[in-house]
Amino acid sequence: MSVAVAVDDGVGHEARPSASEAGPATKRIVVSYGFWIFLLSDIVMFSAFFAAYAVLAQATAGGPSGVQLFHQRSVAIETGCLLASSYSCGLMSLAIGSRRYGITYLDALVTFVLGAAFLVLELREFAGMIAVGAGPQRSAFLSAFFTLVGCHGLHVTAGLVWLVVMMAQVAIKGFRPTVERRLLCFSLFWHALDIVWVWLFTVVYLMGVRS
Amino acid sequence: MTDTRYDRAPGDASALPDAEQGTSGAIVYTIGLVLAVGLTGLSFWVANTSLLWAGGISLGLTVLAIAQMGVHLVFFLHVTTGPDNTNNVMALAFGVLIVILVVIGSLLIMADLNDSMMPGPELMNLQMQR
Amino acid sequence: MSLLGKLDWSAIPFDQPIIMGASGGMILAVVSVLSWVTLKGYVPYLWREWITSVDHKRIGIMYTVLALVMLLRGFSDAILMRTQQAVAAGGSQGYLPPEHFDQIFSAHGTIMIFFMAMPFVIGMMNFVVPLQLGVRDMAFPTLNSVALGLTASGILLTNISLAVGEFSKAGWVAYPPLSGLQFSPGVGVDYYLWALQISGVGTLMTGINFVTTILKTRAPGMSYMRMPVFCWTSLAANLLIVAAFPVLTATFAMLLLDRYLGFHFFTIGGQGNPMMYVNLFWIWGHPEVYILVLPAFGIFSEVVSTFSGKPLFGYRSMVAATMAICVLSFVVWLHHFFTMGASANVNGFFGVMTMVIAVPTGVKVFNWLFTLYGGRIRFTVPILWSIGFMVTFVIGGMTGVLMAVPPADFQLHNSLFLIAHFHNVIIGGTVFGVMAGYNYWFPKAFGFQLDERWGKISFWCWLIGFYIAFMPLYGLGLMGMTRRMQHYDVASWQPWLVVAACGVAVILAGIVSQIIQLVVSIRNREHLKVTADPWDGRTLEWATASPPPAWNFAVLPQVTDVDAFWKKKQRERVQAQPASERKFEPIEVPKNSATGFVTAFFAVITGFALIWHIWWMAGVGAIGIFVTVLAFAFRDEEEIEIPAEQVARFEREHEAEIAV
Repeated sequence: MSVAVAVDDGVGHEARPSASEAGPATKRIVVSYGFWIFLLSDIVMFSAFFAAYAVLAQATAGGPSGVQLFHQRSVAIETGCLLASSYSCGLMSLAIGSRRYGITYLDALVTFVLGAAFLVLELREFAGMIAVGAGPQRSAFLSAFFTLVGCHGLHVTAGLVWLVVMMAQVAIKGFRPTVERRLLCFSLFWHALDIVWVWLFTVVYLMGVRS
Repeated sequence: MTDTRYDRAPGDASALPDAEQGTSGAIVYTIGLVLAVGLTGLSFWVANTSLLWAGGISLGLTVLAIAQMGVHLVFFLHVTTGPDNTNNVMALAFGVLIVILVVIGSLLIMADLNDSMMPGPELMNLQMQR
Repeated sequence: MSLLGKLDWSAIPFDQPIIMGASGGMILAVVSVLSWVTLKGYVPYLWREWITSVDHKRIGIMYTVLALVMLLRGFSDAILMRTQQAVAAGGSQGYLPPEHFDQIFSAHGTIMIFFMAMPFVIGMMNFVVPLQLGVRDMAFPTLNSVALGLTASGILLTNISLAVGEFSKAGWVAYPPLSGLQFSPGVGVDYYLWALQISGVGTLMTGINFVTTILKTRAPGMSYMRMPVFCWTSLAANLLIVAAFPVLTATFAMLLLDRYLGFHFFTIGGQGNPMMYVNLFWIWGHPEVYILVLPAFGIFSEVVSTFSGKPLFGYRSMVAATMAICVLSFVVWLHHFFTMGASANVNGFFGVMTMVIAVPTGVKVFNWLFTLYGGRIRFTVPILWSIGFMVTFVIGGMTGVLMAVPPADFQLHNSLFLIAHFHNVIIGGTVFGVMAGYNYWFPKAFGFQLDERWGKISFWCWLIGFYIAFMPLYGLGLMGMTRRMQHYDVASWQPWLVVAACGVAVILAGIVSQIIQLVVSIRNREHLKVTADPWDGRTLEWATASPPPAWNFAVLPQVTDVDAFWKKKQRERVQAQPASERKFEPIEVPKNSATGFVTAFFAVITGFALIWHIWWMAGVGAIGIFVTVLAFAFRDEEEIEIPAEQVARFEREHEAEIAV
């Protein structure tokens, strides 16, 4: 009876017939896969808010609709900011891979600033709508809008907080395996947020302005 | 260590997560950015132009959104169809399936229920007056 | 703004003697247990070995303990309902006023589903899956502990509602507009929503943990088609958790926004749409019942093959059926609201899909039967539960297929026929399954068996009691009795309800027998001691000592077939090296962590504060959770090392019983 001596040992790379028999995966794969599954669950949550928005999109209760409220210029700038921050996050991942501290901090700062700019613009938009009496309590459509877009904004906020904490970890602990794994998870999160935003600005703003 | 030929962490660019990527990695991200900017700009144009038939605009925007998502997945998240990425793609496919069922299912059902509802007060009054 | 939000002395129901008595009893029980534990000096041991443990085996046992305690709480609600309905005929109002009765049926459903069935099933999976996969722990041990803590938080909040404030009166599903602020202005629905949001986060963590563990960490050689069937059903159930629970989180969030911030998702004003809640709720609700039953199916597969002495019949078709159920469970949800007014086409589609999903379940039943056929069956307690399941679940399933026909459902929706159906499948499926699992894996967890005689008594009481309690309800449903009735005028219903109440008494005898079984077994544990493999099992958990060491396997097993342990036994231990000759390496195990407990503590504070509108306290709780997560993120050591000599010593001591 052959017995494997330890877990993380090369148990014969050469004769493995299939991937599913290779034994437990590395920590990097396990952690990032788990986070990947979490992201998918988060996207399912967004889809529930999305479905609610789609169902309630016409329920303006005699109040203002999207056509009257949305400003495309602001949305375009927000979209640009988030997309650029995804790019800088990608560059940050490369810097982490090559262990370059300075570039990592720089790219993290750029990502943070762009993400914060996105949030500021979005909050200004919300404040503007509330000021003209188009707050979430006005109608079901507005409730759904504020919740869907606001949920995304909350995720961006959480991401920014996480980024700051991660930079603190890099500063204090350096590029340890745990820190690297968490940074990989962060970049997955940040890119996923941009993907969700693609759907949001397409369906809510671009299609909303047409109707 | 388990042979990474067989398995890749989602988000990792290649089987060997070392410093080789360097500049070639930056090119991938840059191409992705350019494509995404182009598609985004195209979306805004499609939404505002009068050159296209109005009925097809929603479909066009949807296609563009899917394309943008694809650019993100391939260039930023390095999701490929290689055998080392199978688990990641399967999970993504499962997630997408659920999203489609939730959104399309809810829309179809709620629209169907709506069709069975009585008309609203304004319309009712109108009908009564006739 | 008051410092304590909406909370004041009127929150305590001094004017309701039954509730005061129940609260008093509950508080007395909790205080007695805590005092006894403290005075006996067990606190340091409990803190070190259980509360801060991230070991999947300990966590699994703690989940099971929570479930068993909540079974008592939920069952006492059942006793109250059955006795009330047995007497409240004609002009009689019974002894439970409507405001109380409504809280009872709401609490009964919420507790039984979220705080009994889910923790029980999760506890079974937690204990068994890593052992069956031949690995040392789950993928994310500390996350596991946090999930347990959040589940406990939800349980604590729900039980606090008995003494402070009230519980929801809107049923376990909490449909708006009844559950909205206008028609439920009290704290009851808020207790319900926050308890379930908090424990829902924990459940989602569990789902992520299991999917990752099963897909990414298995012993070398264990390909997908060599995994035990219990691991396949656990995978399917946890994929459902990951896919469905976010929808529930979103739906409850929308209802909370309606209640707290005046949004208009489900309100009548503002063009809200209450029907959308029903739609979204059941998108979660249907997969939920499969989350409950799939692990039970897995338990039955293990038990039936072990006690027939045969490999499970049709392994591949079992796997295919399991994954088919997993996917199909997402296309049937409208059958929960056929009567809400969808068109015939839509109703028809979902009716057909509901019938289709019965097919893979039928495949499974046939596989179990064919496994039993030709085997040398040992009639132990677990196999009794399994056979009871097969008969009971099939009956329940058939009544489900009956109601899948929309015109029939228009008659039976929300009648006692529906109540009988879902209790038939949940009790026959999930409850019988976890009882079988409890008896089957108890010796592995604790090193001694449960008393067989009391086990058999409890099984027969449960089985007979179930039929006496629920078969009359089928008849009552067909006679037109609706669910959730606090009193009724039709005198001819009463005899049936009295019979049902007697059935509850028999089930009570079953539960009492199980308590006696546990007490007797603990007293007799020296005589009931077992070795690694008391049942002549087929899967890898039986290859470890009973109870297994913290590291499960000194050396990860190399798997070459399905039923990995059985194959090893066939090759016998002749070829194995005695433990004294084998070389062992030090093993790293995850470090204990107080993160789960502390997070749970702050979650209760946050939840309670949000329910009572004590905003400053909610802020404190939220900051507390954030700081706890930070403390965990910045810790320096993640694992402790078990020295090789300790491993070697353990293996030598248990050499005779461990086969690997």
